[in-house]
Amino acid sequence: MNAIAHPAHVHTGALQIRGLNKAYQIEGRDLPVLQNIQLDVRPGEFVSIVGASGCGKSTLLRLIVGLEAEYNGDILLDGQRIAATSLERGIVFQDHRLFPWMTVSQNIALALKNHKLPQAEKDRLVAEHIALVNLAGFENAYPHQLSGGMAQRAAIARALINKPKVLLLDEPLGALDALTRVHLQRELQRIWVQQRCTVIMVTHDIEEALYLGDRVIVMDAHPGRIKHEIRVELPHPRDRASPKLQGYKEQLLEELVGH
Amino acid sequence: MLPLLKKSRGLLLPLLLVLAWEYASRQDAAGAYAFVPLSAIGTALLEMLGNGELLVNLLASLARTSSGLVLGILFGVTLGVMMALSSVANRLIGPLFHSIRQVPMLGWIPLIAMWFGNGEFSKVLIVSLAAFYPMVLNTYQGFSHVERRYREVGQVLVLTPVQQFTQVLLPAALPSIATGVLHALAFAWVTAIGSELFLSSGAGLGNLMMNAEAGSRMEVIVLSVLCIGLLGYLMTLLFTRLSRHLLRWRNLR
Repeated sequence: MNAIAHPAHVHTGALQIRGLNKAYQIEGRDLPVLQNIQLDVRPGEFVSIVGASGCGKSTLLRLIVGLEAEYNGDILLDGQRIAATSLERGIVFQDHRLFPWMTVSQNIALALKNHKLPQAEKDRLVAEHIALVNLAGFENAYPHQLSGGMAQRAAIARALINKPKVLLLDEPLGALDALTRVHLQRELQRIWVQQRCTVIMVTHDIEEALYLGDRVIVMDAHPGRIKHEIRVELPHPRDRASPKLQGYKEQLLEELVGH
Repeated sequence: MLPLLKKSRGLLLPLLLVLAWEYASRQDAAGAYAFVPLSAIGTALLEMLGNGELLVNLLASLARTSSGLVLGILFGVTLGVMMALSSVANRLIGPLFHSIRQVPMLGWIPLIAMWFGNGEFSKVLIVSLAAFYPMVLNTYQGFSHVERRYREVGQVLVLTPVQQFTQVLLPAALPSIATGVLHALAFAWVTAIGSELFLSSGAGLGNLMMNAEAGSRMEVIVLSVLCIGLLGYLMTLLFTRLSRHLLRWRNLR
């Protein structure tokens, strides 16, 4: 329950997805969104998911975080079936979703609302996470005073402060300009190396998927299913310009576009 | 010099009106009766400030407006929240509320006077009803349009229903509620004066006007009208300032 007291070790945060099927009801008819998804994620692994729009990758994340409770099959976190949201799982959405009526530190502190920690300890954690995402000095800024990249950093801090076993990233850098994106990718890498929680990231950006992921899952649409996966055998932190990464990129492009 | 001019340009039109008024009052006897000279209004002001008559009536109207406003806001927000958060409550109360709301405020006065007499209770009831309608409508609007993406964040952070209400729904609905209060304030003030005109007992600016009419004291009527306008303007100004501070998190660029 209290994830803060037991910091996430690399041996927790194993995700198993078994025979997952999900359909939406459209005018009384079942529209399949995900079909027979099988996926095993090791504790502390970084998995990237790429695929055409409509392949259900965002739905998959919503299911794992617990925002959609109805599905067939099993999604197990350390053996427990996921049925609702929990502080063991954090998510960063494409839109930062900071509450506009709260300052940066209030937004981040809200995630600790239901922890029975002394206030001083909570303040310390908030300050620590603000520093982690390099937002020191902006504690009392309102979201509309931040740039897109800064707001997304705050959202990342909010998701990390509970020390989740699994961090879900739903195109977290998709709305940012190219320069900020490259910068935040490096930041994500640094933070992940430091925290080592299990991460599943959905993205449109092939380079981003390869740069950060231990594994890249390629999904196909209508209905959404896993088509292919690539293991990126490179240690972290990585060099963006590495020729090996280029090789993987061509392989992935071939998989996504060519036949 | 220039900034001062810029700041006071809102006074230009009233000043022109006052000049035209004074001009009209100096034309003939009929003009002097319909448009009492400014000097007569000034004398009346000094007289009524001196014997405390103006202050007593003014405070009576203000007290009536505030108590009616507070009641209307409390009940209005409560009902608006209920209708927005519970579809059962909405279906149960909605039709009744929307038909009752079609009856103009002044249309209630005869009924309320018959039921509760023409005392303080009836007047406050009328004022609170006037504040109640815009509060229900705007609160309902605010709470039923909270974006799903924000409610989902509350879910992801596993907030309790009470926390979800205080941390997410209420602040998200606050701009709409503030708009409601601004409308309620205007309605309450106007209705307070109206109820005093119709239920002529006790003190109040409306009563002051009625008595002045009976004694054909035009300058007192004009003075009351000026007070009503000015106070209404000041209250609106004050609340706009307050809500701008409370909602300073909004991006108004």
